[in-house]
Amino acid sequence: MTARAHPGHAALVAALAVLVLALFAGSAAIGYSTLDISAALADLIAGRASLPALVLSELRLPRAILGATVGFSLGITGAALQGLMRNPLADPGVVGVSGAAALGAVVAFYFGLSASFALALPLGGLIGAGIATAFLLMLARRGVATATLILAGVALNSLTGALTALALNLAPSPYAALEVVFWLMGSLSDRSLVHVALALPFMIVGWGLVLATGPALDALTLGEDTATSLGFSLSRTRLLVVGGAAAAVGASVAVAGAIGFVGLVVPHLMRPLAGNRPGRLLLLSGLAGAALTLGADIAVRLIPTRPELKLGVVTAIIGAPFFLAMLRRLKVEGE
Amino acid sequence: MKRAAGLLAFLLLCAPASAGAQKPVRIASLNLCADELVLRLADPDKVASVTYLARDPRSSNVPDLAKRVPVNRGLAEEIVPLAPDLVIVGAFTTRTTTAMLKHLGVPILELGVPASLEEAYAQIRTVAGRIGEPARGEAMIAAMQKDFARLPPVPAHRASAIVLRPNGFTAGRGSIVDEILGRAGYENLAARLSTDRLGQLNLEEIVEAQPDLLVINGGADAPPSLADDLLHHPALAPFAAQGRTLPLPTRLWTCTGPELVEAAKRLAANRLAGTRIGMAR
Repeated sequence: MTARAHPGHAALVAALAVLVLALFAGSAAIGYSTLDISAALADLIAGRASLPALVLSELRLPRAILGATVGFSLGITGAALQGLMRNPLADPGVVGVSGAAALGAVVAFYFGLSASFALALPLGGLIGAGIATAFLLMLARRGVATATLILAGVALNSLTGALTALALNLAPSPYAALEVVFWLMGSLSDRSLVHVALALPFMIVGWGLVLATGPALDALTLGEDTATSLGFSLSRTRLLVVGGAAAAVGASVAVAGAIGFVGLVVPHLMRPLAGNRPGRLLLLSGLAGAALTLGADIAVRLIPTRPELKLGVVTAIIGAPFFLAMLRRLKVEGE
Repeated sequence: MKRAAGLLAFLLLCAPASAGAQKPVRIASLNLCADELVLRLADPDKVASVTYLARDPRSSNVPDLAKRVPVNRGLAEEIVPLAPDLVIVGAFTTRTTTAMLKHLGVPILELGVPASLEEAYAQIRTVAGRIGEPARGEAMIAAMQKDFARLPPVPAHRASAIVLRPNGFTAGRGSIVDEILGRAGYENLAARLSTDRLGQLNLEEIVEAQPDLLVINGGADAPPSLADDLLHHPALAPFAAQGRTLPLPTRLWTCTGPELVEAAKRLAANRLAGTRIGMAR
């Protein structure tokens, strides 16, 4: 069980990285104003405070950066949860981790905590996501069936959704109650570099924690006993996944809302390419998640609706039929 | 006066027989804009209830007047026990409650959203007539017209402005805000960029349009919301740095009343100050 990457894997990672870079460039190039991207880039690099440079640096770049990093967080967390719970339907959105993160962020944001202490926003998301992930892993540890875990997730999702709505209704701002859609569906519209600076450090820490579980997740495919005998500590692995999911998903949701289904779809698409090695799947899923989210965010800007479509609408249109197909396949396999 | 009296007679004829009395004596309002008119035009003892919004100094122009009367949250259950002889509602809000009150035979007056100053004056006239205070309504209109006439003259070449409201809404063509910008000597750029009355403009479109003035239409002490966050997006920082923003509380031109003049005055004063700076350069 050496974790050495074989050449096919490295090529795959490189190909996905190129795809993410291309979509990143596309995301920066597409927007609502006519922007000469090369002139804007030249101005930006030269430090000239021109109008195109402003649009590029303050509006397009934050959006593209968050599209890539939020997508990476959701993809990698989905793959880690699926590997650790050995449950193909685990996804931060489906099992309620994103919903809990949204609740934490809403409480931090609307009641003035983040106004006096900016880090309260990602920390609120992190605490919510951490509690939810820990709760779900506790259930998974008791060896409950796939269906039970998903039902627990549905219940957690409903509960956090309801509490988010309650918090928004109690919030002092008259606009708060109408903003529930952002928190439940997610959007990257009008985000700024401030949001990037708040969320990115937490996300990077989260990715590091999750990636560190790779070898242990590979060993887990041989069963818990074998993994333990190979020297992997299960409790340490769980702790790393809880911490990683909390930091990555918590920070993502705090700045972009709960974007669903990315963490569900992406690991399944990547699994055949990862040679059924959950450890290897992590990085692939992260990159594919970034690509999917960037693509969906380009789509919401190209679909001519006003106000702009929420990002979660597009990912759900792609993801929900996928989820149903997965359920059907699982049932067939179970019979 | 004759016209107002005629209107009053007409309205009284339309009112159900139970209304009987010359003036309504238990007036309830389910709409912030109706609250402001009722509180200003009716005797306080005739006002049975206004919305809770009327007491909030962030949204209301008459929070002190509203403290003297009971408040409601727009529910039929709160209104029916008051046995009002007139309920004033907004044409687009509390629809279920309005339908229920109509069903119960409660006399209703529906107020639309005025799209021009002329429509605003007509609305004052309607409300004043219906509550039996036509003279107070005419006095309010006359005072507003006099104050509008006193605004500095509009220059031949008008500076451009965009009104940015929470959620990225702007004031488009054919809105009262559009007309007030015009009276204050500004050209409403959003009327050109967006087609409808409450046009939503993307931040990119606003930054690209480069209006001479960005009217930040929100409260300075507004509690946190994503809608309000948009007004403080870093992409708008250059406008503030160049003194091209003017904060203007939304309450000044949300409803029909004397504050419409105040909004125009602040805009015109800002324009004149800007011109002077421009000449000094």
